Amino acid sequence: MASEEQKLLVSMIEQFAKEELENVAQKIEKEGISKDIRKRLAELGLLAATLPQSENGAGIDRSSFSLVLMTIAKYSASVAYFIYLQNTLVNEILFKAQKRKEEIAKIASGESTGTLVHDINFNFPLEIYIKGHELYGANNFVILPDADFHLVLARSEKTSYLVMANPVKIEKKKPLGFRAISFGFASYKQTIEEDRIILKDADNLLKSHIFDTSDQIAAIAIGMSESALEKAIEYSKERKAFESYLYEFQPISAVLSDMKGRIEEMKKALMLSEDTKDRILLKLNALELARSASRLALQIYGGYGYLEDLGIERYYRDSMYLTMLSSNYIKDIEIISKNIISPDAFKI
Amino acid sequence: MSFELPQEVEETRKRARNFALREFTKELIEHFDETEEYPNEIRKKVFDAGFITIENPWNMLVTMEEFCRVDPGIGLSTLASVFGSEILLLYGTDEQKEKYLYPTLKGEKISAVAVTEPGAGSDVAGISSRIEKSEKGWILNGHKMFITNGTVADHYYLLARSAPPPSKEKRHHGLTLAIVERKWNGVNPVKLKGKLGMRATDTAEITFENVLVPNENIVGEKGKGFYIIMTFFNISRVYVAAQSVGTAQGILDLLLEYLAEKPASFREMEYVQFALAEISTLIEAARNITYKAAAKVFSFNPDPALTSMAKYYAAEVANQVANIAFKIVGMEASGSKLEKLYRDAKITEIWEGTSEIEKLVISRMILKKIQEVK
Repeated sequence: MASEEQKLLVSMIEQFAKEELENVAQKIEKEGISKDIRKRLAELGLLAATLPQSENGAGIDRSSFSLVLMTIAKYSASVAYFIYLQNTLVNEILFKAQKRKEEIAKIASGESTGTLVHDINFNFPLEIYIKGHELYGANNFVILPDADFHLVLARSEKTSYLVMANPVKIEKKKPLGFRAISFGFASYKQTIEEDRIILKDADNLLKSHIFDTSDQIAAIAIGMSESALEKAIEYSKERKAFESYLYEFQPISAVLSDMKGRIEEMKKALMLSEDTKDRILLKLNALELARSASRLALQIYGGYGYLEDLGIERYYRDSMYLTMLSSNYIKDIEIISKNIISPDAFKI
Repeated sequence: MSFELPQEVEETRKRARNFALREFTKELIEHFDETEEYPNEIRKKVFDAGFITIENPWNMLVTMEEFCRVDPGIGLSTLASVFGSEILLLYGTDEQKEKYLYPTLKGEKISAVAVTEPGAGSDVAGISSRIEKSEKGWILNGHKMFITNGTVADHYYLLARSAPPPSKEKRHHGLTLAIVERKWNGVNPVKLKGKLGMRATDTAEITFENVLVPNENIVGEKGKGFYIIMTFFNISRVYVAAQSVGTAQGILDLLLEYLAEKPASFREMEYVQFALAEISTLIEAARNITYKAAAKVFSFNPDPALTSMAKYYAAEVANQVANIAFKIVGMEASGSKLEKLYRDAKITEIWEGTSEIEKLVISRMILKKIQEVK
């Protein structure tokens, strides 16, 4: 259950999202997350939300941050993911490594943006290497390639490093979802000075961090589900077929109610996840929920939902895109199986 | 009993596959998806290659499957350029066939079916466009929505109300079907852009304002248009099922291409193998039910419940298969054709009768059997 303090926080975030994101959500998707929006997120402390106040952060605890992401995602999933990227995948990593405090401050203030280039939960190898101090290689699947700096996972013969780099070339492609956040190719070729090395043995540390923050992805997915369902229910009360409102039809009412129940259960679970295994399970279920809710909303809206004007097809794209960005089912389920069944599980 | 299609049809399938692989290039697929233009040049090539024919509907069915396997957007756009032709074939006068049907089947004209309205999609009997008798013919006023080929068609097969329904239970009475030309005064089609998928198809919103329709353009008996449209849906839904089967097969093709490039150890994972088995089984089942429904329709013995089962199930499969494939490919699907097929697949659960409508048709037919037992 959310505490009084958390309820207050959610209420403040909800007010911000309603007033400053809801009406421009479609515009954000087309034009990207503007500097002005970044500044507002910074003013609310969201770009370094989980960092201590002494380190330019807002000092928000873990479950409160999940509630923040869930609330923002109801109005703009792209903005919620952007916050997750800046806060969790960039600033938290820099903070944990106690490196590049000036970059933390710049992101926290909305002045600059960062991204994380990795292959932790993907099927493909990154193909970015480091030899001596020379970084080289390229990747086709970079989120926010036009960020001001990249934290890049690079491998050497013996170990792996996370280094701060700037790409020599980027090519942007139209992503399936979260179209407010750029996506595409980036290549690297530069000498890495010592102070740009953020982590050594980065593979294990990153793996642990990314899987352990799975509940934040779940929070975004739950927010998206809730929003899609609310819109579907709203439309079912406006649209008539066979001279009755859609919600009056038993199968439609039943499926909407069932979805509501699933979302409420997932919201409770979000506040209860205790360890990495719980969080991965939560993420997998929440992503599945988001895909189902978006499919349901699109089905209720019919042809109108298939057009971008109403923003319903966006849920359908975003939910699958979030799945692609944040989950490799095989790797996720392997970790869970080994944890809840036996270390020998998922071997063959 | 044989589950094999005749050799002629299998040869058409091969030709269609080769044609689509050759003509629906990656660049063109991306171009039409990006610009939402109608692929008129490819449509002409499809005609020249002889794929559009009503002599043997099985040829069109397997062509639909193979075209959509490569690209549902271009595939459907080209084949649906004769959309609604069965209406004239079954109910048209000789003059109507001469003027509209034959030129369409030669690729000289494009046709469309205009039934859906802003306030009436699945509920066909709920349409409110009106066609009223006048001295010179009929006057049409109304508003149609989501009309495939709406801005490129030369003529529409349009359903409108010609008389008020006699009772609430008989709302489907008093509907009349007419042929309306796009270039007539009062016809205003507006292209709808920004679709989730199937972006090579032309979709329009059309308003009709005091459009004069000549007497000779009324199809079939006045007031009986609902039955004509339902008969047509029984046919067209089989093609949508084939579209779904083709889309699902295309997704499997992409998954196999993906796996071929992965190390053998990836393919050896039993999780991956099970997913492949599930996908293949789903597609095979969807194809079989589609062919069974088609066999009934093409032998003039349609089974509406079976047709609806095929349309509903194959659409479900296309979407399910996309979801399973994404679980395996993950991030590498981003920007790929798999992503596009995922977007394209969704429409199959919506157009030509939503899955909910198909379930209603199926259940009503089955409930009739209970009454027979009683």
